[in-house]
Amino acid sequence: MSDVTGKVLKHGEQTRTMHWVHLVCFIILGLTGIGFYFDVMGISNLFGGPANASLVHRWAGLVFTAGPAIYILLNFERFSKFADTISTFTKDDVGWLKTMGGYIPFLKTEEIPPQDKYNAGQKLLGGLIIVGCLLMILTGFPMWLWRHLVPPAFLAVCYSVHFWVAVILILAIAGHFFLAAIHPKSRVEFSSMMLDGYIDAEISAHHNEKWFAELEKSQ
Amino acid sequence: MSFFKEKSVFTRRQFVKGSGMLVAAAVLTGVFAKFGFDAFAASDDYIEKRIAGMYSLDESMAIRKSHENPEIIQIYKEYLSPGEVKPVSEKAHHLLHTRYGKDIPDLMEHLKHDPTEAA
Repeated sequence: MSDVTGKVLKHGEQTRTMHWVHLVCFIILGLTGIGFYFDVMGISNLFGGPANASLVHRWAGLVFTAGPAIYILLNFERFSKFADTISTFTKDDVGWLKTMGGYIPFLKTEEIPPQDKYNAGQKLLGGLIIVGCLLMILTGFPMWLWRHLVPPAFLAVCYSVHFWVAVILILAIAGHFFLAAIHPKSRVEFSSMMLDGYIDAEISAHHNEKWFAELEKSQ
Repeated sequence: MSFFKEKSVFTRRQFVKGSGMLVAAAVLTGVFAKFGFDAFAASDDYIEKRIAGMYSLDESMAIRKSHENPEIIQIYKEYLSPGEVKPVSEKAHHLLHTRYGKDIPDLMEHLKHDPTEAA
């Protein structure tokens, strides 16, 4: 760790709000989806039975779509910076992936390459979430609004894609939650995204060395 | 305590990547919508061909209406309504109309008492 002191504003207010909206929607969508796909009455009943769970799923899906859409429209600059960061892969990112950032116990490493505002794993997750959410939205609305119009074969494709992308996203988000909220090396990130947006400069200088160096230079 | 905050510098590279991602999302939406519309058109095409096939098959039949079928007329005259052609006669109703769903238990009970009656 370095001897840097102070706080870094890592996530702005609107980003945190969007993350909260998406998180709540994702949990509702995941629970209701599992409830009526696997016919788990205990889960469906939390939402007033299978019919109501289905309604909650659809309207939560609408918020799940509108939330990021409004965020991108109102914060295009912030979104573009995020897009730039997660789509930029350098040899440092490859180095991080080779060692998995030191998070995997049996992948011991001496030196973890310096990272941007998001490390290589977070970059991959960002891309996965954007593509995954887009697929969920694209397959979800025909299943809701045009189910009586589109051919059954097309609807079957929508159901399969929707299900398997949901499985991948739930597993990815479970990993994201573990690393961001539970793992001792990185759980400091939790309060940064979920509460006030700030993180200790010392931690940022260690985990996001390249980004922090730019911040220091620009102050 | 010092506070660090990102400066609002919006580079061309960031703009291009942000826009590019939105364009890519729009293209993916378009491709998916085209897939949906194509599937819809193919389905419509199949249904129209199927309708045309059914009509053409029907037109090629010598007997196209069941009530003009000599065999049906003969069955009515000789058995279902002896001496006349009376569709939905009592016997025709019992022999030709079936029951299903919640009426099945009643039918099973009925057949136990009168197994010679088919339906």
